[in-house]
Amino acid sequence: MSMVQYYPGKTFIHCLDPRVKVVSLFILTIVIFLITNFIVISLIFLGTLIFWLKARLPISILYFYMKILAVLLVILIAMQALFYPGSTIIFSPIIPEVIPLLGGLGKISKEGLIFGLIISFRLVTLICLMPLITFTTSIEKMALGLIKMGLPYTVAYTATTALNMIPILQTELGIIIDAQRLRAFQTFEKGTFSQKVKAYPTLVIPLIMGSMRRAQSMGVAMDSKAFGASKTRTFLEDITMQKKDWAFMILVVLFCITGVYVNFSGFLGIFN
Amino acid sequence: MNSFEDAHIYFESVSYKYPNASINAINNINVSIKKGQFVVLMGANGAGKTTFCQLLNGIIPHSVGGMLMGTVKVAGLDTKHHKIAELSQKVGLVLQDPESQLFTGSVKSEVAFGSENLGIPVNELRDRLEWALKVVRLEQFIDRSPSALSGGQKQRLAIASVIAMRPEILVLDEPTSQLDPIGSYEVFTVVKELNQKYGMTIVMATHHSEEIAEFSDRILVFDEGVLVGDGSPKEIFTQKELLLKTWIREPQVSALANYLKQRGIDMPEFPITVEEMEKYILELFQYG
Repeated sequence: MSMVQYYPGKTFIHCLDPRVKVVSLFILTIVIFLITNFIVISLIFLGTLIFWLKARLPISILYFYMKILAVLLVILIAMQALFYPGSTIIFSPIIPEVIPLLGGLGKISKEGLIFGLIISFRLVTLICLMPLITFTTSIEKMALGLIKMGLPYTVAYTATTALNMIPILQTELGIIIDAQRLRAFQTFEKGTFSQKVKAYPTLVIPLIMGSMRRAQSMGVAMDSKAFGASKTRTFLEDITMQKKDWAFMILVVLFCITGVYVNFSGFLGIFN
Repeated sequence: MNSFEDAHIYFESVSYKYPNASINAINNINVSIKKGQFVVLMGANGAGKTTFCQLLNGIIPHSVGGMLMGTVKVAGLDTKHHKIAELSQKVGLVLQDPESQLFTGSVKSEVAFGSENLGIPVNELRDRLEWALKVVRLEQFIDRSPSALSGGQKQRLAIASVIAMRPEILVLDEPTSQLDPIGSYEVFTVVKELNQKYGMTIVMATHHSEEIAEFSDRILVFDEGVLVGDGSPKEIFTQKELLLKTWIREPQVSALANYLKQRGIDMPEFPITVEEMEKYILELFQYG
């Protein structure tokens, strides 16, 4: 369940220009952090869910994220409910307020509870929004988008190559573990914690040595193919902004401006 | 043979020492290779084959550093004074491990990578992509991920990604040592075609004596950084002492011919391929 996996597809969100996706994600993240208006956040959340379904991404992943987040969310809500300086008390303090320092602890206010819920909702929305972008954009497309936005292509390629190396390293790790098992090395299965910690170098050192050797020969191959030679690099699969990309971008920007305006004008708000 | 004018690859008293090394990796190499020749490099591990290969496209000394003496010229360019990017359009280098030469997410982008780096216009990029994939017979895999290919296919993809830069010389450093027999055969077939159909000059390090005997024009034998043998496959494979000294295995038919020779059965000409041997054995049966 990694955040950078790519689920291939040809849906609207898949075909959107990576630049539009990156910029939209950036703006929406800022807006989510900026506002507390429940209705505006709900709209972003609903929009995210609709695109999530339309892109045919597995809902089970969302469920998985929520399970991980659950504890954090409960703590977050509890903290706000207990410590937010609200005036509408719905649960009176456990410790009388006359006692210094600990006085008033256990008091729950309505405002605090609502604020905690909204903060949690913001977090949930953000957690759903980010993978929507990374899951529907291939590493290459994302890199191309970033290059077109001004990132030097040597940097972008270094990053994508590193990401492409992950599955190779996983395979290599499997081979090392198998080789150790074949020689009756069982510490990772049966050993105590301290034995396992001590045994880690036997796993990590061959992995690092192997990947360094591989990186070296990769460097030779890349150099041989004139990597970084020309400032005017061309791209086989170039990206250009289509009408729908502009339309989507404008829509997102308009939505964000309206959302921020509504939030700070107090209109539709639960409280100011 | 060492005439400078018609040499496609030209080494004049070339010695090279890796950074932090105490001895030279190769020592006083003088050799010239004509356009369109199929040259094979042989010798034990550490004999200097890889160094020779990497000298050809400027990886040595530009990327690796170290101390290079003498002159290396490829397609008229002195490798000391031209950048790898320039040399890469004259000399393509294919490495041993197919996996570490492939670093993008699709066959298409893999082949385009080199030409993109050179800033080739997109129209021509498409032509080159199509051509290179056709030569290595991977057209139907254009949208696949390189990780989904077999070893032989991966190595052919590596070749495609190099020839898409339209080099005149193709250098292959033990391209088949990690492949199964079928994969090796596929790679040899493609290399042979590049040599015969497209007139590419080939320099290949390999241990496959049988294929060498069949495909190559010339063998260079290295031993501890020194060029100890230079000749046609027939000339090299008849030198029993040289082969023993440099740990080179002769083709099996040549071993058989040597054995027969010791037993007093002489061949009209020393055989190195199965076809030649077949001819001589048939003659033996007819007249014997």
